[in-house]
Amino acid sequence: MSQLRKMGPLLASVVGLLILFRIWVPNFLAVENLIDLTQQISVNAILALGMTLTILIGGIDLSVGAVVALVGTSAVFTLTVLEGSVSGGGQFTLGILAGLGAAMGIGLFNGLSAAKTRMPPFIITLATMQIARGLALRFNQGRPMIVPDSQTAFLAIGNGRFWGIVPYPVLIMLILFAIGAVILHGTLFGRHLYAIGGNRLAAQLSGVPVVRRETVVYILCALMAGVAGLIHASQLYSAEPASGEGFELDAIAAVVVGGTSFTGGIGTVHGTLIGAIIIGILDKGLNQAGVHFSLQYVVKGLVILGAVYLDVVRRR
Amino acid sequence: MLKKLFLGVSAISILFLHLGCGGNGPAPEENSSRKFGVVYQTLNNPFFVDLNNGLKEVIAAHGDELITLDSQFNSLKQKNDISDLILQGADAIFINPVNWEGIKGSLIQAKEKGIPCIIVDAPVKDEDLVLCQVASDNVEAGRLAARALAEVQPESKVVILHLSVNKACIDRVDGFKEEAAKHPGIEILDIQEGEGTREGARPVMRDLIGRFPELNAVFPINDPSALGAISALESAGKLDEVTVVTVDGSKEGIAAIKAGKLHSTSAQFPKEIGKAAAEQAYKHINGEEVPKNVVIPVELVTAKNADDFLSEGESGS
Repeated sequence: MSQLRKMGPLLASVVGLLILFRIWVPNFLAVENLIDLTQQISVNAILALGMTLTILIGGIDLSVGAVVALVGTSAVFTLTVLEGSVSGGGQFTLGILAGLGAAMGIGLFNGLSAAKTRMPPFIITLATMQIARGLALRFNQGRPMIVPDSQTAFLAIGNGRFWGIVPYPVLIMLILFAIGAVILHGTLFGRHLYAIGGNRLAAQLSGVPVVRRETVVYILCALMAGVAGLIHASQLYSAEPASGEGFELDAIAAVVVGGTSFTGGIGTVHGTLIGAIIIGILDKGLNQAGVHFSLQYVVKGLVILGAVYLDVVRRR
Repeated sequence: MLKKLFLGVSAISILFLHLGCGGNGPAPEENSSRKFGVVYQTLNNPFFVDLNNGLKEVIAAHGDELITLDSQFNSLKQKNDISDLILQGADAIFINPVNWEGIKGSLIQAKEKGIPCIIVDAPVKDEDLVLCQVASDNVEAGRLAARALAEVQPESKVVILHLSVNKACIDRVDGFKEEAAKHPGIEILDIQEGEGTREGARPVMRDLIGRFPELNAVFPINDPSALGAISALESAGKLDEVTVVTVDGSKEGIAAIKAGKLHSTSAQFPKEIGKAAAEQAYKHINGEEVPKNVVIPVELVTAKNADDFLSEGESGS
């Protein structure tokens, strides 16, 4: 009940926005339009899910946008290189593994550096953002790589629909959020993360394995970026070495709008999902209402400010 | 706290409800006004602002509406922007693709809904999915640039500042190479990515000056990157030794020609591209046949005709 109460303002904003755009835009609440909305937010929401964990422990991961590019290029490069030499299924599996493996590598590096050294995560991930971007640009001389037509399974990740209704990116997003909610809100691991975010030293003194937990959080965040990167590459039928720029900021926005405190220790997985939905509704609604794109940025900025302000007021 | 928020939200909703009943309200069904959408890879380039003005001119003359969106070089945003327009039931969508292959999903989506897509400026790979493509003669623009260079400086060691994700730029470079091959004095030293922007080209050019002391010519693929290259050459004190030829014909580019910093630009006519694209859309709506490719000619601008070109008022911005 108290959970619901806390979500009240966020849910009210979602309902308010839906009503507003229903009035402004004909067919805004049409089923097809709403399904499209969930599809549009999926990449950002999955990135935001991982970002929630890092912000919750008082960290940040700026590298996720570049990881999206690195994962896409690694996966599509592998698919292309193996074309003809391995079975279609093997090709698919190895492509996915190459992508997620690259993400894990960056995540492991971020996590170990953040947990074991006193370097601030902001700086560490600012550096790995550059490194991951550079590695992505090594592929195909920085040019986009098209997914081979034979890779129908890979193309389905971003473009197919489960039972012809639910787009796969949405299904993946919902499953990941469900897992995320169980881990964060129902396990000891989750409680440890809140403890670390609340007071790192106190957590350490009371026996929380801080180094291990922190490392795992950055790996999970990078893995989420990996999944988002695979969806991104599939949706665009190609891997773009230059893609994903600024995605980390969109993800942070969704996390913050969703009520996670930037200082750590406070936040929820479902809040982040609603945060991503709010930003998605704004993007779609303002687009469809024909609001000039320059004004759209202003509105989004104001919404983020408003959300953070509410957060601060609520805490007082 | 919660109450306050609910009050706030309802207040905002009522405010918008009010707005909704005003001029911005949904058009009644019998209103014959059509809705078009256009999605650009960026609007941070006067070329696309001009192109948009051309579109608007024709569409406004029919009393119809145009929604203009900026994808900011983000393919995913472009995909989302296009699906928003599709689901709004646009009568036609004009697309300037970020990724000429990656746009495929959006084109398939539009085709399924029976919404015609008209590609402007930069082509797409899957031609059969679109109604038509309207663009400058980019290969010819590249040829003109190489010919202009061969004339003014027959012995040239050139670097190219590319934007290789963009097919229009690939065509320009192909045209440049094709013509350069006919002039034995022209040697291409290297091709680097200049991002097609002033900020992107400047550091790359600075780097190239250091790497190739013998370099005496540059072919940046558009005016913004030419201006970036010029600024790098100026700060290195090498602008006198290096000839810059490019493609675009923007006001800024022509000003650089008049200042003696840029030798030539193969001028495009973005406003004409916009107008032609809008005309194709109306032709299609009226049931007329539409050609698959509409090519808008380009024109070489040097110091000789820069003034005439500006007074024509057709190009640049």
